[in-house]
Amino acid sequence: MSNDTVDNAPVYDRKMLEALVCPHTQGTLRYDAERQELVSPGAKLAYPIRNGIPVMLVDEARRLEE
Amino acid sequence: MAENEQTTHFGFQTVAEDQKAGMVHGVFTSVASKYDIMNDVMSAGIHRIWKEAMMDWLAPRPGQRLLDVAGGTGDVSFRFLERAPGADAVVCDLTESMLVEGRKRADAGKLADHLDWVVGDAMALPFESGSFDVYTISFGIRNVTRVQDALKEAFRVLRPGGRLMVLEFSQLPNPAMQKAYDLYSFNVIPQMGKMITGDRDSYQYLVESIRQFPDQETFAAMIRKAGFENVKYRNLSLGIAALHSGWKI
Repeated sequence: MSNDTVDNAPVYDRKMLEALVCPHTQGTLRYDAERQELVSPGAKLAYPIRNGIPVMLVDEARRLEE
Repeated sequence: MAENEQTTHFGFQTVAEDQKAGMVHGVFTSVASKYDIMNDVMSAGIHRIWKEAMMDWLAPRPGQRLLDVAGGTGDVSFRFLERAPGADAVVCDLTESMLVEGRKRADAGKLADHLDWVVGDAMALPFESGSFDVYTISFGIRNVTRVQDALKEAFRVLRPGGRLMVLEFSQLPNPAMQKAYDLYSFNVIPQMGKMITGDRDSYQYLVESIRQFPDQETFAAMIRKAGFENVKYRNLSLGIAALHSGWKI
């Protein structure tokens, strides 16, 4: 999409990432490229991105340790 | 089930609220790959006419941003983008396999740049407030556990001047016709579902959930309660389905 992203970025749309918020807190998310997760610091949850599709469900999220 | 537990409908069954999403998920995971063809057979292709009627009333414009909730395989989004090249659409659905199925269609075409796919819950959308021009939900809202919560979320994510459009099965105002329709749906559809997808129970759920959904006026009142104004509806095919429209002023 945008040309400032590295070429080896996964099949994932950064514009989309910016439009998403945590469904639990509506807070902003941090993109973890390595783990393919969207991290919500407020909710202490990490939402998985599977095959380029973000899975924004609390039930599917990984709980982050304190 | 404990007496004080919150309950909701799953077809004709009464189930605990926290169970419904999983059960609905089961239905759509089961039918995902054959969902489009099943819709065609079940409604004799009429769902296409209904979706076109939805687009006629919506009148998509270039530059608009659509959120298509319970968008499944992207049927509504594709139609929207075809009518308004340069618009953008986000397909949001609870069932991952439906989105994967839909994306296969998008990858082939030039629409892919204007389409995003997100797994999300209509009652807790992963989008900022005031970020969409149009919110659609087509044959999806009756599957939501708490319909009023989903309407509230729709209102939140729309920007002022934004529009809600709901396509859903409804009730026939004529009792004799409703009876004939019930006979057809309860006897024919689950059987047809079994033939095509091998899954009778999922289609039994579909017909029961259709009958359970509030009628046109009741649903319009729910939309108003969520904050929408200028709420109107149009019956399609004598009320087998209805389109509801509302504006966030």
